[in-house]
Amino acid sequence: MWKYFIRRLLQVPPVIFIITLMIFGLVYIAGDPVLMMLPADATPQEIQQLRHALGFDQPFYIQFGNYIMDLLRGDFGDSYQYGEPALSLVLERLPATLELATASMIVAIIIAIPLGIWSAIKPNTFIDLFATGFSVLGKAIPNFWLGIMLILIFAVNLHILPVSGTGTWWHLVLPSITLGTAMSAEITRLVRSNMLEIMSQDFIRTARSKGLTSFIVIFKHAFRNSLVPVITITFLQAAALVGGSLITEMIFAWPGLGQLIIQAVYEKDLPIIQAAVFVTALMIILINLLTDVLYRILDPRIKFN
Amino acid sequence: MKFKFTSLFFVLLSFVLILAGCTATTKSQTSSKDDKTLTISLGPDLMTWDIHNHTTTSTEVVHANVFDYLLMRNQDGEIKPHLAKSWKKTNDTTYEFELEQGVKFHNGEELTAEDVKFTFERVAKDKSLRSHSDYSNIKEVKVLDDLKLQIITSEPDPMLLSRISRQASGILPKDYIKENGWDHFKKNPIGSGPLKFVEWKKDNRVVLEPYDEYFGKKVTDWGKVVFKAIPEDSTRVAELLAGNVDIAANIPPSDWDRIKDSKNSEVVNGPSNRTYLLFLRTQEGWPTADLKVREAIDYAINDKALVENLLSGGGTPSLTRVNPGNLGANEELYGKYNYDVEKAKKLLTEAGFKDGLSIQLAGPSGRYLQDRELLQLIAGMLEKVGIKTDMNILKWGPFVELREQGKFKDGYLIALGASFFDAGQSLDYYSSERAKTINGYSNKEIDRLLNKAATSTNEKERIEMYTRVQEIANKEKPILPLFQLDQFYGLSENVKFQPRIDELIYVPDIEKK
Repeated sequence: MWKYFIRRLLQVPPVIFIITLMIFGLVYIAGDPVLMMLPADATPQEIQQLRHALGFDQPFYIQFGNYIMDLLRGDFGDSYQYGEPALSLVLERLPATLELATASMIVAIIIAIPLGIWSAIKPNTFIDLFATGFSVLGKAIPNFWLGIMLILIFAVNLHILPVSGTGTWWHLVLPSITLGTAMSAEITRLVRSNMLEIMSQDFIRTARSKGLTSFIVIFKHAFRNSLVPVITITFLQAAALVGGSLITEMIFAWPGLGQLIIQAVYEKDLPIIQAAVFVTALMIILINLLTDVLYRILDPRIKFN
Repeated sequence: MKFKFTSLFFVLLSFVLILAGCTATTKSQTSSKDDKTLTISLGPDLMTWDIHNHTTTSTEVVHANVFDYLLMRNQDGEIKPHLAKSWKKTNDTTYEFELEQGVKFHNGEELTAEDVKFTFERVAKDKSLRSHSDYSNIKEVKVLDDLKLQIITSEPDPMLLSRISRQASGILPKDYIKENGWDHFKKNPIGSGPLKFVEWKKDNRVVLEPYDEYFGKKVTDWGKVVFKAIPEDSTRVAELLAGNVDIAANIPPSDWDRIKDSKNSEVVNGPSNRTYLLFLRTQEGWPTADLKVREAIDYAINDKALVENLLSGGGTPSLTRVNPGNLGANEELYGKYNYDVEKAKKLLTEAGFKDGLSIQLAGPSGRYLQDRELLQLIAGMLEKVGIKTDMNILKWGPFVELREQGKFKDGYLIALGASFFDAGQSLDYYSSERAKTINGYSNKEIDRLLNKAATSTNEKERIEMYTRVQEIANKEKPILPLFQLDQFYGLSENVKFQPRIDELIYVPDIEKK
């Protein structure tokens, strides 16, 4: 098992190195950030002066060389927009993003698993129709619309929840429902189809014929066996969330990574983009590792090799 | 298919319970706001506490309440004494200032001429600072005594007073920064202004509170001032309607009715110093090189209708970019516009485009109020006189690049502000030097006037020269000014606030109702 871990961890540096190269190249092609840093009426001389002062008039290989040397020392550089170390700006926003991602996952699981199981044990009933309809809707409703509607209903009209920002647990409710609903759609469908498949297998019939209660049959025998793909998809979705959810964060003024990254992309703020990608890539690799471990705990037939 | 109503009931019940479990709370928990708190949302968060290293107005709005300028503009844009109680020009390149006595920074240390020297010399010398170019003409700040100093410029600078009464001119505490370093300062800023720093949670809020020993007009109506970052327009409006925000800036027209219809909030507007401009190419080979075509475009666009339809009247048509309140404003051109479809058609025929012509206009999307919609309306108006317009609407990043590299086609739309309130800044686009990389406009008379005015220290003479430049520009039309743009704020019923032309929100002037 340890061998497996070490092998996986050894894959991390080359992956991150390649990502770094690609991003530097892409941002370089997109042009330097000087134009975004100055006001709209800056003169060509002013633009040239700042470009020179910041070293953006250097040839590609020098800029790239300096950049790599800094990176090797663990220095992502200072953000062009904020003039502060990029890595710490990213790390400051990480807790908020993780908080929202965790809460959304919990919301998604709370909705998806009961609904999925329920619709699978009562196939082709109203509940099944409801669950299927719900997951289609959940997937189809745009985040921004759902977010704005939730704000209008619960914050503006009913006054029972805060509109935006962070501070208390209540601030977490609307954004996590917004994100969780979309996530739950896929999980519901997956739980349903897996359960349906497993419920028709021989060992379930055997369990029933032993006289076990249907509760035990469903949760101990069927549900546990249907979990592996469900966990895969849940964690894959969670991995997508650690980079921050752009739209939901914007709507709820949630101070997470998503807002920081999109602003950095608009402003061509390379140090922040790099630091954010680095952190996100690490997180995703970790989550994938965790998923693999969970698999093996749930299904001992899968071996570490 | 069987419909089991009991099951349906349970499904719905479980949903309601989940929701209720999450949402059961009382009203008091939804807002952390009390009567003495003034909450302002500008949209974006503060960029930095380094006043010299940003160029955003929304960041300046926060800074202006924490740091004091030597001179400050009033509501209408006139320069008034502030930290400096008096000033005089001693020669063409030297201004002498006398500071107010007993002004203290928030840590109790006295503000002296040394602090002024430290502030201006830093930004004048460090080329990597974003505000550097506005101050690079300052050669030296000479300290005469604790309260007296001279600002010496390399060239005569008629705009010096404008320069030091705006962005990046707040006086910084020299000793505090020298002792603790910039990193510490940026996390724990200290100024001498009416509000002092409490905390900054990035992308979330800046909290300030009144400074009791402020030398000027104190903040007495409020116990705490919060600048909340809410980038999304509809959320900012929702916060206003929910009663959590008192002043919400940059309210888009689509939300005005919602605010007006609510019982507890209203929309107020006032002029900004920003004007929508249509730049047209004058280089050989472009149809707009012909003055008649440029005139035809001017006559085809109904500026009044643009303001009425897009901004519910929140703007003023104008034939110049230099608005009243700015030095050198040619008021005869303000409030006027040309619109005559028949004349436009006639001009086109005379220019040899009897059967019409095609042009391409570029414009940004999402940068200025209604920018995309404006270009679309203009294209519609041009179509009516026979000018087929291909629109190239871009995000801000690609747009500025297109502009800087001169890759736009016949022209582009932009809304430029003029933070110096001086025609010298606003009219720079008409100089051959500046226009070279833009629309190629060149007029010897304008060049001569602009050059002379740039270093003339005779104010009356400068005003005359700038007035003349605007007259010529209005005849030759290399740039079509469309209208001066208003700013729109949503206000809660608790506050009395009048928009300032410089777009600042100066808390001592905001009263509680």
